[in-house]
Amino acid sequence: MRDFLKSTRFKILLGFLAFLVGIMIYAVTKGGYSVSGASFINTITKPFRAASNGISMKMEGTVDKLSNADKYYEENQKLKKQIGELNAQLTEYDAIKAEVEELRKFVSIKEEHEDYMLSQPCGVLGYVTNDPFKSFTIDKGSADGILVNCPVVTAEGLVGITVEVSEHVSTVRTILSPDLSVAAMASSSSADQGIIEGNVLSSESGQTKLIHVPKKNKLKRGDLMITTGTSGLFPKDYPIGTILDIGLDSNGLSVCADIQPCVDVTRLTSVIVITDFSGKKEEDKDED
Amino acid sequence: MRIRTTREQHILRFKTTLRWMIYYLLIFISFIIMTSGTLYKPILLVPLAVGIAVNNNIYASAVTGAICGFLIDICCGKLFGYNAVILTVFCIAANLVFELYLKDRFINYFIITAAAAFLQCWLDYKFYYQIWDYEHVGRIFRKVSMKVWLYTVISSVFVFLVLKLVNRLLMPREHLTIEEAINTNIQTENRR
Repeated sequence: MRDFLKSTRFKILLGFLAFLVGIMIYAVTKGGYSVSGASFINTITKPFRAASNGISMKMEGTVDKLSNADKYYEENQKLKKQIGELNAQLTEYDAIKAEVEELRKFVSIKEEHEDYMLSQPCGVLGYVTNDPFKSFTIDKGSADGILVNCPVVTAEGLVGITVEVSEHVSTVRTILSPDLSVAAMASSSSADQGIIEGNVLSSESGQTKLIHVPKKNKLKRGDLMITTGTSGLFPKDYPIGTILDIGLDSNGLSVCADIQPCVDVTRLTSVIVITDFSGKKEEDKDED
Repeated sequence: MRIRTTREQHILRFKTTLRWMIYYLLIFISFIIMTSGTLYKPILLVPLAVGIAVNNNIYASAVTGAICGFLIDICCGKLFGYNAVILTVFCIAANLVFELYLKDRFINYFIITAAAAFLQCWLDYKFYYQIWDYEHVGRIFRKVSMKVWLYTVISSVFVFLVLKLVNRLLMPREHLTIEEAINTNIQTENRR
């Protein structure tokens, strides 16, 4: 041992160690940046290290899979369950979001027309089978304050009128039906009035018809038609639809127009019933 | 006819009960199909009621026809009882015709169903549209009534197959005495 300590080999090794310590101290002084030698080595060895690391990771992964298969299976099942729950929550969230948006629209009706007494939002149960005029049933009835001949609306416009009311279900006749006539006027000029009434031809394309308009009128394409409220069945100034095309009636004595309803009555999911409003027909109130 | 044992009677009763339960389950499913969606659909309850009527006794046929009719009234928004009356008449007529004149064959069922469905659609058109004299009312007959009739006739093929399956599995068969069986055999031999 004493011989080794006195030997040149020991001195060389000690010198080498001192060199390494010197490099280390130099590296410390670089403040985190690698010294050029280390950087060079890193650059040279990078691809080999990457390949080797890749192989080793793969092998480790395989071993891990085999050794922890049960654990992963359980974890997988747990995650699947969690995804299912999250999906259910998401669906529920979407439904609630849609409902809130729908309710917001209905609230706007009440804000705009303070005199309206509105029912709760009514879900559309289904359309009457094979009805060309798209009558439908709603999930609210007399128990919810709905009566026969109550106007049915959405925030966009008039939909129709209740024609059959049971305790919890009501049937709605839409504005596509020839059996429903609504007195209407142009929103721009109350002088241009007519009757909006469904028609077999128009209903095929989800439209309705404005009839009995005097020849002298200022109606034009795109005019919004609103209710006049004169019949007492519908509230005043509620939107019905816009004029698509204007022409002469078959009798040639008056003008008629194709109306595109503000509401697509063929694809409704919820509506609201106006149970009372100022100017409502007195008879109905007597019947109450 | 051979006297049935108690066990055979129990089996017969069980099969009959099960058969009627399936019939009414089919009626319920048809009703649900008819009430869903916005497109034009076949009146599935017509071929179903006729199909049940031709294979069962006249009272059961009448009751089934009435129930199916009420369901049609509900889903089609018609006067409650209107289709019940029509379908009861159809079912009784179909039952009698099959009992007296026609054999239980597909083609006979198909013709009877087509006729019944046509009458149902035509009466519906007459009473609910033409009578009110709407403008272009003929279009409803061509574009709605005829379409629905065609769908109903097509659907009757599937209804027949389902009913055939139910009847094959659950319809009680007539038990023959040995003499009757021999006679039937002899008749068949003679025909050959």
